[in-house]
Parts: sequence; structure tokens; C-alpha cells
Amino acid sequence: MKKMKRAGSALVASLVLVTAVLTGCGGNSKQAEDTSTETSGEVVWWGWTPGSPTNEEYIAEFNKEYPDIKVTWKQTTIDDYDAAIKPALANGEGVDAFMVSAGSANGGIQIFGGQAIDLTDAVKAELGDDYKEKLNEASITTMTVDGKLKGLGVGTVYSGNLWINQDLFDKYNVEVPTNYEEWKTACETFRANGIEGFVQGAGQGAFNMDTFHAIADNVSPGTFTKAARGEAEWTDPSIVKALELWKGLFDDHIMQDGALGIMQYPEANNLFMSQKAAMVMMGSWYTSNTLPETMKAAIESASSTEAPFTMIPVEFPDIAGTGNTGSMFGDLDYSTAVSATSSNVKAATTFAVWLGASQNGQQMIADSLNVVPSLKSATPDWDKVKLVNPEKQNDAVKTYIENAMETNDNPRFAAINADMNQAMMDVLAGVASGSMTPEDGAAQLATTQADSE
Amino acid sequence: MKKNKTMKSTKINGFLWILPAFVFVVGIIYYSIFYTFNLSTLDWNGLDPIQTSVGVSNYAKAFGDHIFWKAITNTVVYFIITFIVQNSLGFIFAAILHTEVKLPTVHKCLVFIPTIIAPATMAPVFRLLFSPQGMLQDIFDALHLGITVNWLANPKTALFILMMIAIWEFTGMSFILYYAAMSQIDKEMIEAARLDGAGNFRTLWNIVLPNCKGTTISLAMLGVIGALKTFDIPYLITTGGPNHATEFLGTYIYRQGIRQSHLGYAAALSVMLLILAICGALLTNRANKGDE
Repeated sequence: MKKMKRAGSALVASLVLVTAVLTGCGGNSKQAEDTSTETSGEVVWWGWTPGSPTNEEYIAEFNKEYPDIKVTWKQTTIDDYDAAIKPALANGEGVDAFMVSAGSANGGIQIFGGQAIDLTDAVKAELGDDYKEKLNEASITTMTVDGKLKGLGVGTVYSGNLWINQDLFDKYNVEVPTNYEEWKTACETFRANGIEGFVQGAGQGAFNMDTFHAIADNVSPGTFTKAARGEAEWTDPSIVKALELWKGLFDDHIMQDGALGIMQYPEANNLFMSQKAAMVMMGSWYTSNTLPETMKAAIESASSTEAPFTMIPVEFPDIAGTGNTGSMFGDLDYSTAVSATSSNVKAATTFAVWLGASQNGQQMIADSLNVVPSLKSATPDWDKVKLVNPEKQNDAVKTYIENAMETNDNPRFAAINADMNQAMMDVLAGVASGSMTPEDGAAQLATTQADSE
Repeated sequence: MKKNKTMKSTKINGFLWILPAFVFVVGIIYYSIFYTFNLSTLDWNGLDPIQTSVGVSNYAKAFGDHIFWKAITNTVVYFIITFIVQNSLGFIFAAILHTEVKLPTVHKCLVFIPTIIAPATMAPVFRLLFSPQGMLQDIFDALHLGITVNWLANPKTALFILMMIAIWEFTGMSFILYYAAMSQIDKEMIEAARLDGAGNFRTLWNIVLPNCKGTTISLAMLGVIGALKTFDIPYLITTGGPNHATEFLGTYIYRQGIRQSHLGYAAALSVMLLILAICGALLTNRANKGDE
């Protein structure tokens, strides 16, 4: 009897212990006591971009002003970010500052904003009450959830253009394509010389959306964004026409063979960086590759031993023949949020504000050419910034950045929710592979939009 | 009376021995299952403090979701083909290595090594191998075969490429189990068959294979569960694409739960996966018992 009692007690005690452990793992994160100050503390910063060693270089610059705040960069891949940070945030430990983005991209503010503090007072303290006038509009609007500023934009990325390898164009005497036929001819010429013309990792949906958005803006400027916002139908004839043109890129071998089976990163990027492809659909984040050191690192990552080359941004060709060219669309690439359950809120806030709103932090971001900075007064210092081939690149890159900064109200992903994002990927892959007609694809987008609303 | 007391005492002592494992299983595994079941009745993104109860609508949604059915179809096709090819190859390799082949250890290692290499390690290699700019294409081009390697981009061929990779990876497991099973067969039985005039094929088919039935059943059970749990190879090589052509339940659960933040729906799919796995295991077990 005594032994039975002992066994029963042991069982109950064990179950209580397990329950306690599981409760601890259950994700009920609590507000921790803030042990940091504005000038000291230990901050763990989670994110996916731009990646080591650049983030460590940012931290080193930050530490010149704030030597007593230790920032540790924790990087995940772009695809694994949500999976990695969700449990970390739910647990409430090990995350102080973390990257968020607009709309349906990874780290979407609508999902993760609930775990972040309101940064309005902190940014006011840095920039004054008129802070909204000093920052890029998107860095405020897309990061505001229920009237609270949940993330501070570091910089914006824009897409809608191609990047070309000017050296290859010169070598094979190919004209930069400005319309469908020229694009097709350019790709044929490069292919005849053993090089891919245009390369796209169509197995990675986000970049397909960029190309499709560029086509849609070429067919009918603004309809894509209106449809994403529910102000126009996805079945609009211009969207169907854009899907037909998208399909044509595959049928006419403008896209390289097997495009649907490869990813933009690493494969398509590697083909471009190793000079095995002459054109690629990348956005403003690619600008940093015009810097010799960044390009060398990118070339090495692509397992190539070639020397840095002259890459130039060019307008998306007028494949619809409408004359509507030069469209660019963009979102905040990433913003910094501060975890509400961090025990280093003050130090993490200092870091977030320095990176996203201080003149020094934003100047560093501007000079890195990785993103277009959020602070309007920070622009690349062209006396300091040296490109691979200044003669051919300087004007092109300057004009490109200026055009990007003038882009108004044409978001990249911010207007697209996660369900529409998935539907868009499905439709573009389905139309490209021929398993779906453009009309059916447009209808599927419309159905998903209606369901997700 | 005293004997009864002793037995009772032994039972209690035995119970104490299994207590840690019991608590672990009940406390963690079953807790997780019930937690997942609870999640499956919610509309929740995994972080929001607001969780909306939706009853069984996540399950109803799955029945009308063509991607869910696509994942089920892919799983069935994947299981049937990989099970047949992988186990046939494993059986043949095991039989060959039971003959007087030279350097048997080297051959065993060659067959088994793919099994111990992590799919994450091999995925980039396969992506490169089957890329139109990859090694296989270079070989085809050198041989002027006029074949374009775009199989991973083609919804009709991508699944077969994944099955080929799975067969390459897991044949070693079938081989090692068949090899062990064949070692247990009474040699006199084989010799008797030989004396009765049975050739190699007949001996394998009528003597060796029936004696390895237990192994085949075990491999079938592992195959069913493995097919239902398939995640790493399709996720790392095709991410379930193109256009869901290589979607499996595992990749779809991940897509719904993590990418699209539909944690409730992902949990409902997980519960269905669990039920399918249990049914698969029971059916295989029953088939085994029925034959006995």
C-alpha cells in the first residue's frame, strides 16, 4: 500500500513537472524587466538581410557611437526567417531587435507587429515632431499597425528593371533590348555564343511577381496595384494580356530553358555573377554589386574566379508595345522592430533608431548602395562611393537611384497578403508551364482575392 | 495471499521503472497531439493574442482543397513507385552480396553511403545536377544527344526526379535489412531447393523472398509512414513546385503554417496526416497478420 502510494505520488509529481515544463514552452511570453539603458545593454538582432559581414560592419559603425551596447547579429535565410523567429518571439527570449517587412513578404509586419513595441516616441526624440516629413513615406505608413509605429524602416528596395552585364553586351556587340523582338534577338545572340541571355529563377515566386508586375505596368500602368488593393478586377483584360506576355517569355525562350526548376538565389544570381548570363531581373538591392568589394564577394560566392564586371540597370523592355516604360515599384526592404518582451528594450530601441533614423546610420546605409535609405537627407556620397567601372556606371546608377526615389504609391508586396502571394506564385508557375490558361489564371487570382477578403 | 502480495509489489516496482518513459510519452507526445488537435479548431496565425474558434471548418476546408488532394495523390504515387523500385533494388543487391562477390565490404559501403548522407547536403548537388546549366546537361551536350535537362521545371517530370533521388538515398536501407534477413535463412533450405533443380531466379523468388516477408512488411510500414512524412527532399529541391507538382503533406503543412500563417489549417492537416499514418500502419500490419 505504501509502495502504491509512493508510485502514485511519483506519477503525479512527474506529470506536474512535465506540465510545468510544457507550460513554460507554451508560448505565453511575458514582459521582462528592462535591464538595459539607452547607452548600454546587450542586443540580439535577428534578420535575413543584407547578411554577414555587412551587418557586422553596421554594428561596428554603431559601436563607434555606442560602445557599451553589444549587438549580436543572428542571421537566418530569407525563406526560413518566419519559421525561426516565430517560436523565438513566442518564447519571449533571445530576441531584442528583429527585422520586419511590409505586406506578405517574410517577417510581415501584420503578423509580427503584435510582438513589437511602439517606436513613435523614440523616433520623435531623434527627429522631432515633424519626423514624418524627414522619412520616406512608406517607412511610416507600411510600418504603422493600429496607429502604432511597430518598425523603423532602414531602407527601401525597388524593382521593375533589368540588370545587364555591359561587358558581355559590348563583347558580343548586342544592343540593349527595348522591346520584345529585340529582347528575343539579344537572347538568341547570347545563346549562340554559349551564354544565357536573360536568366530568372522562376522556381522562386517573389521574383516572378516582380517580372509580372513590370509586365502588367507596361501593359497598363497602375492596374496591378489597383487589383491588389481590390480597386480593379484581376480579370481585367490588361492582366490577362500581361499573363499572355509572361507565358510568351517562356515559349519564345527569352527565359532560359528550365527556368521554373531553378531559384533566383542562388542559381540565377550565380549565373549572372559568374558571367554565364547577360541579363537578370533584380531590383535596387543589386546596386551594391556595383561596388568592387561587394561584387568580388558575390562572384566568389558564385564559385567564379572572373574579375568584377560592368553591370548596369536598364528599363524593362516595352514588350507590350505601349510605350509605358520605366515603371518601378518598391517597399521597405526591411525595418527594425523591438521585441516587447525583450529585457533590453532601451538598448534595442537605440539601435533601431540609429539604424533607421539617425544621419550617421542612414548615411552608412546610403553609401552601402544596398537599399535606398529611409531618411531623405541621406544620399550616397558619390565622392566616397567608387564603382567597378565609374565611367560607364556612375550616371546610370545615379539616375536609377533618383528614379527609384521618385516612385510614388506603387508597392512591391505591401498590398499583397499571404494568400494572394501564394496564389500569384501558383498562377504564374501554372501559366508558364502551360497547365493553366492566362484567363483561368486571372480568374484564380480574382477568386483568391475575394476569399482572402 | 503472500504470493499475491509479492506479485503486486513486483508490478509496482516494474511500473516505477517505466514511469520516466511513460511520463515522457504521455506528457510530451500525447500532449503535443492534443495541443495540435486543439489548434486545428482555431483560426490563428501563431502569434496574435486573438484565437478564433472555427470548429471543424479547417477539416472541411481540407476536403475541398485541390492542393491537399494533389499532395495525397503525390504521396500515394511516391510510395508505390519508391517502395517497389527501392525494395527490388535492395533485395537484388542483398542477394548479390550473399554470393561470392569480390570486395563485399566496399560494395556494401557504396550501396549504404547515400542513406547516411543528409538530404540537406545532397539537395544542392541534385539541383545542380538536374539544372539546364548543370553537369548532366554538359554530358548530354558533349554527347550531342539534343536533350535539354529541364525536368525539375516540368510539372510532369519533377515528381519522378524526386522519386529517383529518394530511391538513390534509401535503397541502402532496404538493402541492409534484406541482407540481414537473408543471413537468417537456413542454408539447408537453399541447398535443398538447388538439389530439387531450382535455378537462381526460382530460388530467390520461391525460397528467399518468402523468407524475407517480415522484412518486406516492415519496409512497407516504414515506407507508408516515410511517404506521408516526406518533407526534406521536395522542400529542398523543388519547394513543392512547380505549381504544387511535387507538393506533399509535409511541405503543404509547412507552407500553410509558416509561409501563410494559417496555423489552424496546418494543424488540421497535421491531424489528418497522423490519422493517415496510423491507418497505413494498421493496414500494413493487418496484411501481415492476414497472411500469417
